[in-house]
Amino acid sequence: MDAIVQIIVSGVTLGAMYALASVGLALTFGTMGMFNMAHGLFMTIGAYVTYSAAAVLNLPLGIAILAGLTAGGAVGALMHLVIVRFMLDREDFRTTIMVATAGVAILLQDLILKYYGAYPFRQPAQIEGTFRIGNVAVPYQSLAILVTAAVLIGATAWLLKKTRFGLAIRATAMNQDAAKLMGVKTERTYLQVIIIAGVLAAAAGILISSMASLSPGMGTNPLIRAFVICVVAGLGSVAGAGMTALALGVMEAAIGYYFGARFGFPILLGLVILVLIFRPAGLFGKAEVIRS
Amino acid sequence: MSISKKPARATSRRNFLKTAGVGTVGSAAALAGLNSSASAQTGEPIVIGHPVPLSGAAAADGIEFKQGMEMAAEEINAAGGILGRPIVLAHSDTESGGDDKVTSAGQRLIDRDGASALIAGYNFGSATALQNVAADASVIYMHADTSRAHGEMVSGDPDRFWGSFMYCPSELYYGSAYLNFIRNLEDTGQFTPTNNKIALVTGPIPYSINIANSIRDAAAEYGYEISLYETVEAPTSEWGPTLAKIREDEPGFVVITHFFPGDQAQFMIQFLQNPTNSLVYLQYGASLAAFRDIAGDAAEDVLYATSIGVLTGEIGTDFSARYLEKYGEAASPNGGAQTYEALHLFAQAAAMAGGVGEAYDDEQNKRVADRLRGMIYRCPTGVIRFDQSKQQAFSYPVQTDDPSLGMAHIFSQIERKEENGKIISPPPYGVVDFRTPKWIKS
Repeated sequence: MDAIVQIIVSGVTLGAMYALASVGLALTFGTMGMFNMAHGLFMTIGAYVTYSAAAVLNLPLGIAILAGLTAGGAVGALMHLVIVRFMLDREDFRTTIMVATAGVAILLQDLILKYYGAYPFRQPAQIEGTFRIGNVAVPYQSLAILVTAAVLIGATAWLLKKTRFGLAIRATAMNQDAAKLMGVKTERTYLQVIIIAGVLAAAAGILISSMASLSPGMGTNPLIRAFVICVVAGLGSVAGAGMTALALGVMEAAIGYYFGARFGFPILLGLVILVLIFRPAGLFGKAEVIRS
Repeated sequence: MSISKKPARATSRRNFLKTAGVGTVGSAAALAGLNSSASAQTGEPIVIGHPVPLSGAAAADGIEFKQGMEMAAEEINAAGGILGRPIVLAHSDTESGGDDKVTSAGQRLIDRDGASALIAGYNFGSATALQNVAADASVIYMHADTSRAHGEMVSGDPDRFWGSFMYCPSELYYGSAYLNFIRNLEDTGQFTPTNNKIALVTGPIPYSINIANSIRDAAAEYGYEISLYETVEAPTSEWGPTLAKIREDEPGFVVITHFFPGDQAQFMIQFLQNPTNSLVYLQYGASLAAFRDIAGDAAEDVLYATSIGVLTGEIGTDFSARYLEKYGEAASPNGGAQTYEALHLFAQAAAMAGGVGEAYDDEQNKRVADRLRGMIYRCPTGVIRFDQSKQQAFSYPVQTDDPSLGMAHIFSQIERKEENGKIISPPPYGVVDFRTPKWIKS
């Protein structure tokens, strides 16, 4: 019984972090058809800015986290204004934007390496202490990760479903030309989507680094997992990405316990192959997406 | 050559340290002497290539390797360089990558930067890539990959790999050294485990796997039973499933040979949330400041070992003080010392051989290799004396019971998170006694 509780705690913690990492990726793909290869670097930037604000500038933790989230959104906005908007109308946008954002990722990672070096700093945004469920000690940090992910993903869902702003995003995602004819300023909508994705990625980066450490390459592994989650859920499915992330997190923890820790990720990759063969549109397909 | 399973004979620490050799400060003086008695060569700089992981998972070590090289180069140049020729360093980042990254970094240093020798700490990959680069270019290559593959490769084809030297022992000795260590703790009454089970957790790197296998294969011989053999990914931040297995079948000993300091720190943080009565040993990573930074209070009482760590006594203490003064309190002398002493050793051997040859000058570089092969060199991490066929350093006390003839395989325990661990074994280097970790209930 303790083992099952431990698997659920570990799996939900992993899943919550993956969910935040993947929802932003799903959002940009669902709205713009853009697979953002720099998404992992948005995570890294959020984590490093929070670290700098808290540990170097000695700002209160709340302000440091806010600075990290703002930095994620700001880098997203900058990338849109300097690169993405000039490529939106290209016929091969989906392919070229992957190459362009991969270039941005390499550049940003090198800049972080140059500025901070590669020393694995400790993320100060951490909550110490545990509470117990049976014999299993549950860290408050895990609870904080789950609550933060739930609040941010819930807020994003509310934004998309219940506000005029969200309606504009969904309309743009369904048909850009029709949305324009209805008076939606689609380019501004794209900018807003990238900013939201940047903020979500930064939040994911802060949470992930609180369970590990900071390094310029820290976004690479979560980006691969976020991609796996988006493919399994269906690229572009925001709600599906969140649910899939939690399910895969628990599955990875269970595989780690029952079969061995080294099998967790390879089996997830096997799952992607199966999904691509039997359900190319993903488990949640496009109907679930913001395009519904 | 046989591997001793007996604990080292106690040696008088004071007497040994008094007669232990000149060390690296003395080495700079010896080099200055050689320089003054020799006629200066061309005066042109000698480029030493330094292929190490300056980014990625092993960057915490890579940064220390680079600093160690810089410190040694400054001292050597202050002593007149190598026969009047100053040393210039060329660094190349191997990105914590495999053989592809390591090979291209080494090749770039030789072809583009004009390196006359390659000196590294450790790199990832098969630990056989740079030996081939060095052999093709006829240059000396010194490294601390701690890999048995080096010895097998060099002894298998000495005509080709004459220039490659591993200035630390192979990782295979970690197994018997660890088992000897815990056996000795039990036999001397310093520690009474709850049972004889060992939970072994390793990572994806051959170094970690080989050490875990060497413990697994010899455990029964020492009276221990392997209750868990688990392999984790790198990086691993969520240890829940692995810890659940450890807690389900409580072992007397937990051994983590996956050596990334960040991952080890997370292990300790999560282990201590609900600890078992197990003696925890972390392979190498815990010797780095990054581990203590990330783990915080959870670092205390952890045991670790390294076969190339800075020792106590005048030479080690002097080096640590100078290194920390130069690079700050967060620096790790254990990492910096490796390349520091390798470059000093190379400079002294090259000076005695009459200078460094350019790349592809196998005649002169073979003279340097001959000198290296014959040296017994006291440095901050102990004594470098090369096995003549494998061209790797002998281990004390695993291969020799004479501390003046082997590099010490030291076991340390972290007393305070603010300080490096204190050496508890082997004699004569131990400065503190083993203490039972505070999480173990009697």
